[in-house]
Amino acid sequence: MGPGWSQYGGMDLAELRPDLPPPLAEDLDIIAEMTADFARSRNIEETLRRGLGRICASVGAEAASLFLTDGETGELVCRACCGPVDVTGLRLPRGRGIVWRAVAANAAQLVRDTRHDPDFAATVDDTTGFVTRSILCAPLSVRDERLGAIELFNKRDGGAFGDGDRRLVQALAASAALALINARLAAAMAEQEAFRRELALAADIPRAMLPGVLPDSFPIHGVNLPARGVSGDFFDVVARPDGRIAFALGDVAGKGINAALLMAKTASLFRCLAKRMDRPGAVLAAIDAELAETGASGLFVTMVAGVLDPAAGQVVLANAGHEPPLLVSPGAVRPVDGGLPPLGVVPELFTAGCPDSTVSLDGGCLYLFTDGLSEARDGDGPMLGAAGVAALLERFAALPARRRLEAVVAALPGGGALRDDVTLMAVEDRR
Amino acid sequence: MMVEIIDRGAATVVVPAGEVDLEHSPRLRRVLTELMLDHRTVVVDLGGVSYLDSSGIASLVEAYQLARGGAGRLTLANLSPPALRVLRLARLDQVFAIADTVDAALGSGS
Repeated sequence: MGPGWSQYGGMDLAELRPDLPPPLAEDLDIIAEMTADFARSRNIEETLRRGLGRICASVGAEAASLFLTDGETGELVCRACCGPVDVTGLRLPRGRGIVWRAVAANAAQLVRDTRHDPDFAATVDDTTGFVTRSILCAPLSVRDERLGAIELFNKRDGGAFGDGDRRLVQALAASAALALINARLAAAMAEQEAFRRELALAADIPRAMLPGVLPDSFPIHGVNLPARGVSGDFFDVVARPDGRIAFALGDVAGKGINAALLMAKTASLFRCLAKRMDRPGAVLAAIDAELAETGASGLFVTMVAGVLDPAAGQVVLANAGHEPPLLVSPGAVRPVDGGLPPLGVVPELFTAGCPDSTVSLDGGCLYLFTDGLSEARDGDGPMLGAAGVAALLERFAALPARRRLEAVVAALPGGGALRDDVTLMAVEDRR
Repeated sequence: MMVEIIDRGAATVVVPAGEVDLEHSPRLRRVLTELMLDHRTVVVDLGGVSYLDSSGIASLVEAYQLARGGAGRLTLANLSPPALRVLRLARLDQVFAIADTVDAALGSGS
């Protein structure tokens, strides 16, 4: 028995002293056994059923029922029974009756003779044939949280329940209620732990999909900074057999497991299609068709796909609902507009094909980024915006590409408290 | 974010206000999904939206997809500059039915 008994049970500890007469010592044993049983148990329903049997036997009742409140309907539902009649599953809508009276008053109800109690409803007796003479009903509650009640019917010896029985049942009910609360807390914690593990697992999906660090001499670089938990951003770089390099950057709407899975699917499709298809617009259209077939409602992807011809310093770009990439050349910043809405929204938009635009780098650099970059801000301060992005890129222009990207991301307003994932790519003219 | 729901007879006007972001968009999503599944004609008044992130857009897209599936009608109206900017950027202004005002949306929707 824990030290917090009187606080929970509302019972008189003086009555539980071991120097009291034998019957009370026996009662103490029952309480101790039940508490230990509850503490060991992982199956709370089974334990409650066993506990109810013990209470029934120790009080000398003919029958007993255990009711728990249904969180959704507010009804009391019978979850366990012992004795000749099994009414498990019986639902008692909020209202009159002895059980509800015990729950409402949060105090044990002793009905010595049911014939004199206006709240006694004989409907159950009428259907079961059981004759209820005397009732003892104790609420299952911990402080003000009402969990249900235990109801006992008829003393075996033919007499009525008395005050001694009431005190014992109150103590046993308090023990059962505590066990129930503990079990529920443990279940909630286990659920949270499982959810946390799942999240951690999902967080690894995007990370696993990102390309490794590319050599400095490579013309394309990217950085990804997940805000917290699971990132919905991705980027990828794929060398093609013809010497050109395909690249893509995308952002899956929303976060969580579904977004991570959609991101993984989109990134895999890109990797596979970018080697086979020449035009990035065709790649986006093919991904859209695939997403439309299997996509989940409300999830969509904004994405830019491109192909760099390193020898010509030329990029072919296609855009599905993504923020326009910025072409930065000395003294000039130009957004590359055009494109279609995001992937996965309206299938027929892409069936006619997604337009490509050709961009000459002319010694400049093309930047692709997710809205985590352009919408970065400090607290409620202003968002960085396309102009802010351009200013940051200019500030670190002298650094080599990879370090430049890292410096830009590190200098974002809001610092470590990013609201959204940030992904930034640079496609350079290395001729 | 606040979401006000106004019954205008044949149509329901949903008015989200403030920041519609990852934290708050699930509520908008719930409201819109329920109305769409109820085959309602819905006008979303975006006049009071100060920020709309991708999860907020996703709520609108899901409602749009439900409407396309025959579940109801959806019109966006009275777009605040931030809402308009984000929808234009994603070129979703080509996808949604957009009205200048709620009254115009109600007129065309009935």
